[in-house]
Amino acid sequence: MCPVACRTRDLSFAYGVDPVLRGVDLVVPTGVVMGIVGPNGAGKSTLIKAMLGLLRPLNGGAEFFGQPLAAVRQKVGYMPQSTTVDWDFPARVLDVVTMGTYSGLGWLRRPGRPERDRALVALEQTGIPELAGQQIGELSGGQRQRVFLARALAQAPELYFMDEPFQGIDARSQQAILGVLHRLREQGRTVVIVHHDLATVADYCDHVTLLNRRVIAAGSVAEAFTRANIREAYEVPDADDSGFLR
Amino acid sequence: MSFLVGTVLLAVVTAVACALPGVFVVLRRGSMLVDAISHAVLPGIVVGYFFTHDLDSPLLILGAALAGLVVVLGSEYLGRSGLVTGDAPQGLVFPALFSVGVILVTLNFANVHLDTHAVLVGDLNLAAFDQATLAGISIGPSYLYVMLGVLLLNLTFIAACYPRLTVTSFDPLFARSLGIGVRRLDTVFMFLVSLTVTAAFHAAGAILVVALVVVPAATAHLLASRLLVMLALTVGIAAGGALAGFWLAYALDAATSAGMAVFCGLCFTLTLLGTRLDRRHRRRAARRQPLPVS
Ligand SMILES: Nc1ncnc2c1ncn2[C@@H]1O[C@H](COP(=O)(O)OP(=O)(O)O)[C@@H](O)[C@H]1O
Ligand SMILES: [Mg+2]
Repeated sequence: MCPVACRTRDLSFAYGVDPVLRGVDLVVPTGVVMGIVGPNGAGKSTLIKAMLGLLRPLNGGAEFFGQPLAAVRQKVGYMPQSTTVDWDFPARVLDVVTMGTYSGLGWLRRPGRPERDRALVALEQTGIPELAGQQIGELSGGQRQRVFLARALAQAPELYFMDEPFQGIDARSQQAILGVLHRLREQGRTVVIVHHDLATVADYCDHVTLLNRRVIAAGSVAEAFTRANIREAYEVPDADDSGFLR
Repeated sequence: MSFLVGTVLLAVVTAVACALPGVFVVLRRGSMLVDAISHAVLPGIVVGYFFTHDLDSPLLILGAALAGLVVVLGSEYLGRSGLVTGDAPQGLVFPALFSVGVILVTLNFANVHLDTHAVLVGDLNLAAFDQATLAGISIGPSYLYVMLGVLLLNLTFIAACYPRLTVTSFDPLFARSLGIGVRRLDTVFMFLVSLTVTAAFHAAGAILVVALVVVPAATAHLLASRLLVMLALTVGIAAGGALAGFWLAYALDAATSAGMAVFCGLCFTLTLLGTRLDRRHRRRAARRQPLPVS
């Protein structure tokens, strides 16, 4: 197996004139949970979108399992921030999770029994099988995140990109999602999560990339997630160390 | 076929043809865009009429719809380029085009027999005037067959692209990450909307056509919990609204499409009030009996 799930080379991106990302070099080893950590507006979501070809970089690009995205698209899954969609959309939970199976669907083909079964299994894995028939507008924040996670699982990729999966959720959903992440890691899958709760980074992730428009530090949590690096990423002056980390 | 039956059929078919793509317009919050298209196609229609001298000509409809699409794509491009933001391109480009169209009409360019009133609200009875015959038997207004064609086209597109259209409307970023050609799908869809609006123009006019596209779907959105249900409800509301509006206009001796639009608007308002009250009622019930949290 390829030891590198994904890497970017000198990736830069701008929405307008000012670059949001400058020369990002990122290496994600296979079989780890990698956290992308940085302050609000650091470009974390932008980095993921640029890597997945949802935004066109000014320069550089990403490759997955040593190949361009188009060649291995089925192996790469994306879980956007759940706040980016309209939850008043007329759909049940199972309908949304089934969307994860659409990548293999040809023209005129409807999702059928096999696709629905995959979606149901994914709902089991995220611990919400009883919500299958629920209207999505009636879900809590944590349930929404779990529905999005289930949709990504239904796609069954090798490499997952999750944008803030732990944002705005209850303790039970947090445990359920964490359980899924660790199970994926045991299965040799790779997970990249955008995360901004510094207190839990060390518990959730094996590797970390500190990002603030450029890569401040990257590596295993022990190597990269140091006080000095965090301070640099969050632009905290040296003198102000008061209770910043726990 | 009697003139009355033919005209009623035309009203129903036009309403349903407009309302079907309206489902996805509403789900993508693109009502503003339909308004924009309905304004943009007017100069296309006037110029097209200069060449074809037939308002129902498929060539004219195709040309005007293409003009509408070009403007939509142009405004999207302007939006993406960051030169102007948000709805500004639509606010800038479309009213200007509409004015050009109105000026052309009032200048009687190409002897277009459109009065400004018909441009705004259309005239169904006038549209139904040309009768088609098959083997000497009248088979209803020829315009009915134009709208039937549009309806079939919309149905075919929605049926063929249903899963793609659904995921793209709900979560376009996710759809793109699956490798779905979202931009291509959007372009085809916008072209169909443009085509539908252009074709319905003759019967409904620039302003009311927006109501025909948006209102049945917006009403169904308030009621439906699944997309297929929303589609079915939309068709039902559009057809029912067309019949009731036709009757209303007949009784009040008013313009038919205006009657249809008024009726649709009434439906929407009542549904909105109904769902609001229902929601408040349910919330109160929920407070009395708390739901288990998870
Ligand atoms: N669609 C957009 N158009 C213009 N600027 C944007 C857009 N999305 C994000 N930005 C800007 O890019 C920067 C990085 O945003 P983002 O990647 O969302 O940050 P993060 O996810 O780390 O909080 C921010 O300054 C934000 O304001
Ligand atoms: Mg973000």
